[in-house]
Amino acid sequence: MQRAHFTACLPLLLMASLASGQEHAGEWVSYRDVYRAMLVFEKYGGPKNLIQNHLQVASKDKADSGDALQVTLSGKSMQINLPLDPTGRTVFPQLKVAYDENATLVFSKSGQYAVRPRVSIVLRVDGAYDTAELRAACDQALAYARHVDASLRNKQCVGVRLVFGKKGVQAGARLRKSDGVGLALPVAEAAAFAGDADDGFPTVTYRFAGAERTQLLASNAPLAIVPLFE
Amino acid sequence: MEKLFALALVVSCSAASAQTPAANPMPDGSRDMYAGLGSVSAPRYEGADSNKLTPLPVLQIQWSNGFFISGLSAGMHLSNQPTVEFGPLLALQPHRDDGGNGRGAGDIGAMSGLSMLIQRADEGNRLAGMEKIYARLQAGGFFNYYLTPQWRLTTSLLYGAGNERKGARLTLGVQRLAAQIGSRHALSVSARVTVANREYNQDFFGVSLAEAAASGNPFYAAAGGLQDAGIGARWNWKVTPSWLVASSVQVTRLLGSAKNSPLVERPTNLTVSSAVAYRF
Repeated sequence: MQRAHFTACLPLLLMASLASGQEHAGEWVSYRDVYRAMLVFEKYGGPKNLIQNHLQVASKDKADSGDALQVTLSGKSMQINLPLDPTGRTVFPQLKVAYDENATLVFSKSGQYAVRPRVSIVLRVDGAYDTAELRAACDQALAYARHVDASLRNKQCVGVRLVFGKKGVQAGARLRKSDGVGLALPVAEAAAFAGDADDGFPTVTYRFAGAERTQLLASNAPLAIVPLFE
Repeated sequence: MEKLFALALVVSCSAASAQTPAANPMPDGSRDMYAGLGSVSAPRYEGADSNKLTPLPVLQIQWSNGFFISGLSAGMHLSNQPTVEFGPLLALQPHRDDGGNGRGAGDIGAMSGLSMLIQRADEGNRLAGMEKIYARLQAGGFFNYYLTPQWRLTTSLLYGAGNERKGARLTLGVQRLAAQIGSRHALSVSARVTVANREYNQDFFGVSLAEAAASGNPFYAAAGGLQDAGIGARWNWKVTPSWLVASSVQVTRLLGSAKNSPLVERPTNLTVSSAVAYRF
């Protein structure tokens, strides 16, 4: 019987020996597998006008900031470079031809990468955000997160995190109350999104408080505004 | 490759697997298909002390409209909620004769061939003289609930097994879906229990008076209830973007009336399989 069990493993052993020198060069993920995760947001029927969904490719190695990483959508009939922002996000192209060709997302550097959808709040050109609108956006993000993960039903929106670039722009934001008084919020280094290895982004966290009408003014355009659930 | 695929389709008409693949959203008009071949070492029949090594054709196809073929089961995903899956399910119950169970095709998230050889010297075939149980198409449904995106509770109910087509089985399970181990390896684990009605257990574990006379097994009237429990692990290795090695090991223990059947030589069985599949 043990011989039968062992024999049943022959395809595995055969493939292991063949693959030892022929594994596909570089790191890659299946376009189909990513598509499956990304399409959920598109098909979501709840309110989502204040939020957006990106594909994030982030190194699991804290020492690798990912600055030089390039991601290419590679299929029989296509080679499309997907530019990543400093947080590792890119707009995911939903292409039927890429799905049908069983295309891959190929990474320019070897290493361990987390590939996942990331929901954030839509940025405003003027950098001024009504806190009531930020709360509404956070509620939309939470409703979507619960749609995807039933275990989040006990989570609540508690605030937002503005994520700034590490270089080139001054990180900062202040709170302007209805009487015109401004309050600068502290800047702290943190990860852009929960679970990211790179925790060195300048961030400003605003926690929702009361029903007072206030505005959050970003000193420069943030990379992302991330909803916070607790 | 065309010949291999034809073999998979042919063999897929000879065994059952009621597991359902996870819902797979895709562009309208697209499909996601795996086909391949491997081998499986499985008990000759439920409760057998000997194992049978058979080729394992693998087939799993999912279409954009929700319809899927997975091993020897087929169904349709009707839910548009990512945390819930449900729909109708059809599965082929393999025949059983004095050589043991017929076998079938496998899938990527659930697997199952051509009988080839029987291990271990025959110490007295308890199925000799037993009535042949014909292959049957079972109908039913499935309902799965995701506790988190990684954990899902699974249920499936199938009816129509056995010569009288009255056998029914309810399978309740929990699965930890595809934990990534490195960038190309994924491990899934699962546990399940199966409840069968009296008609099912009587067909597969009971011994009628006529069968007792013909086989030498004592008369046995099987009852319904818990039939078996099992745990399993599946390892998927993405060798290239198109080639995959799917391996699994499952331990199953018969319970209740099924376990006490005179046909049962050993209540705990091990099934090991491995197959190479191509993603089209």
